[in-house]
Amino acid sequence: MTDLRPTDTRFTGHLVRPRLRIVAGVCAGFARHSGLPVTFVRTVTFVLALCGGAGVLLYGWLWATTPDESADGAAGSAPRRDLLPKAALTGSTVTLPDARTPPGAPSAGATSGPAVGTAGPEAEAGSAEPRRAPVTEILLGLALVGTAGALIANRLGADLPLDAIIPAIVALAGTGLAWRQFAELRSGAGPRSSGMLVRALGALVLVALGILLFFVTSENPNVWTVVVAAMSVLVGVAVVVAPWAVRLTRDLSDERAAREREAGRAEMAAHLHDSVLQTLALIQQKAGPHSDAARLARAQERDLRDWLFTGAANGPVDLAAELRGIATTVERDYAVHVDVVAVGSVDREVPEALLAAAREAILNAARHAGGSVSVYVESSPTAIEVSVTDRGPGFTIGDIPADRMGVRESILARMQRAGGTASVSPGPGGTGTEIRLSLPLDIQEDTP
Amino acid sequence: MNDLTVVIVDDHSIFRSGLRSELDPALRVLGEAATVDEAIAVVVATQPRVVLLDVHLPGGTGGGGAEVIRAAAPLAPSTLFLALSVSDAADDVVTVIRAGARGYITKSASGAEVSEAARRVAGGDAVFSPRLAGFVLDAFGAVAGETAATTDELDRLSAREQEVMRLIARGYAYKEVASALFISPKTVETHVSAVLRKLQLSSRHELTAWATARKLL
Repeated sequence: MTDLRPTDTRFTGHLVRPRLRIVAGVCAGFARHSGLPVTFVRTVTFVLALCGGAGVLLYGWLWATTPDESADGAAGSAPRRDLLPKAALTGSTVTLPDARTPPGAPSAGATSGPAVGTAGPEAEAGSAEPRRAPVTEILLGLALVGTAGALIANRLGADLPLDAIIPAIVALAGTGLAWRQFAELRSGAGPRSSGMLVRALGALVLVALGILLFFVTSENPNVWTVVVAAMSVLVGVAVVVAPWAVRLTRDLSDERAAREREAGRAEMAAHLHDSVLQTLALIQQKAGPHSDAARLARAQERDLRDWLFTGAANGPVDLAAELRGIATTVERDYAVHVDVVAVGSVDREVPEALLAAAREAILNAARHAGGSVSVYVESSPTAIEVSVTDRGPGFTIGDIPADRMGVRESILARMQRAGGTASVSPGPGGTGTEIRLSLPLDIQEDTP
Repeated sequence: MNDLTVVIVDDHSIFRSGLRSELDPALRVLGEAATVDEAIAVVVATQPRVVLLDVHLPGGTGGGGAEVIRAAAPLAPSTLFLALSVSDAADDVVTVIRAGARGYITKSASGAEVSEAARRVAGGDAVFSPRLAGFVLDAFGAVAGETAATTDELDRLSAREQEVMRLIARGYAYKEVASALFISPKTVETHVSAVLRKLQLSSRHELTAWATARKLL
């Protein structure tokens, strides 16, 4: 525990497997991480592999626990994953404070480095990130290192009670694997794929096998050892499966609660749809299209409808929704009926200038024309087009006095500044006015 | 028989009586119905020219207005259906149009507008609200630049049909569409009917996606 400070700059911090590799990049990654020559690491691995397969086991373990260099998404879990191989392999004499520090606090390792000598790196890692305590990796590591050690010792002639050790190690590894699956499951990061199921089943088999081996290899099997063995397997399996069972029941109750909420909401929506919306439609019909009562009923209907059918999704506000909001406020203030029809969808931020110009155009139509105003939005991948049509007296740009800024400044000039165009023309059948705003999206992308 | 005969199907009696009193006097209301089963019986018994049909109806197997159309249309061959709804939701539109409705308007339309739509449907035309036109443009990929190469293509709109739909979506009446495109109103109606046919027959998945997602079709 003397070499705690990260003075060696060759240490890269995270143990990752590089792209350039012979088998899986474990040796190269470890060599780069520890500063040892690659050839040396490879030779040691090979020699260890000849010692009853210990090297192969170590290799496999590092392979499983070390992230790929290319997998940037695994960066968050990298510190957790790389610290254990390092600690276990070097007997925790050479540990990396920076590798133990959570990624959010890069300076903590450096500042507390000299003081850690008393507290111990394990304590630091445990206290800083209690949820990330790599229990599963430690279990796995112990199992594999223990196996390797036992194999080497056995090969060297030591008389070890292998018939007890190996089953224990197998059971330990199985439990470790199983709990690791659980940790992934809980964090929500693990893919719910068949691969996970296979791994989980493998863990179960390992545990059962280990416990069985324990009893089968013991001397003088009798009825009681068989019974105890069976019980032990059951208990072992229960321990391994417990996290899933807990998780499953919690998921189920969560889902049931969500379904109940959803059902209640749907029922209320159906009820309101049948009663209130119908009544509001009736009011609009009876009161005549341009009366105050119809206007109020319409605004209420729109509010209610938004709440009923889109209330759950508070996602990004799109252009159509923005325009509908504008329409609602305009309808409250003026005796006008604004219809918004939207085609296509904008999957990016709507330029403020376009919205402001459209609001001005709708307001203009409401003020000067009244009646019904049609708003049509078409969003194609290359351009957004908004047209506001009214059936009022109509006007042309030439008619507007020079001191009236509404149309000229708020609509035409604003659209030009945003890189788009605006035009004013007679409406359908030569009556009223049609204001068309169009904004090419390519320009918008160049100048965000 | 000069009068246009209609049947009003809606599960709200207030709405039925309201609509009935607002309708053009030239329209003769033969009957009313409040549920799917009632509607089928009344339509088959009275054989009206046009049925003003609410999309959401209780009874039957839960299929609402679309179920009425499917069940009654074979037994009332000269009857046409005009869908009325408080909802502008795409799945509602798709369901009734594909079941065979000749048009779709919202319930907030005035009595005069409903009468006009009924008359147009009786004349063999399709009735497209601006919102329905917008939906058609969306569903047929017109915004993304998809254009039919031949006239008998069902999955895309021709360039002319797109122009007509765009103008209807902008709130233009058929006559205004005609003068804006320098074509006759009859040609506009032909285009709209062609679009309606495509809407009913096309297998574009967008048309059914909403409905199937909610198990409506």
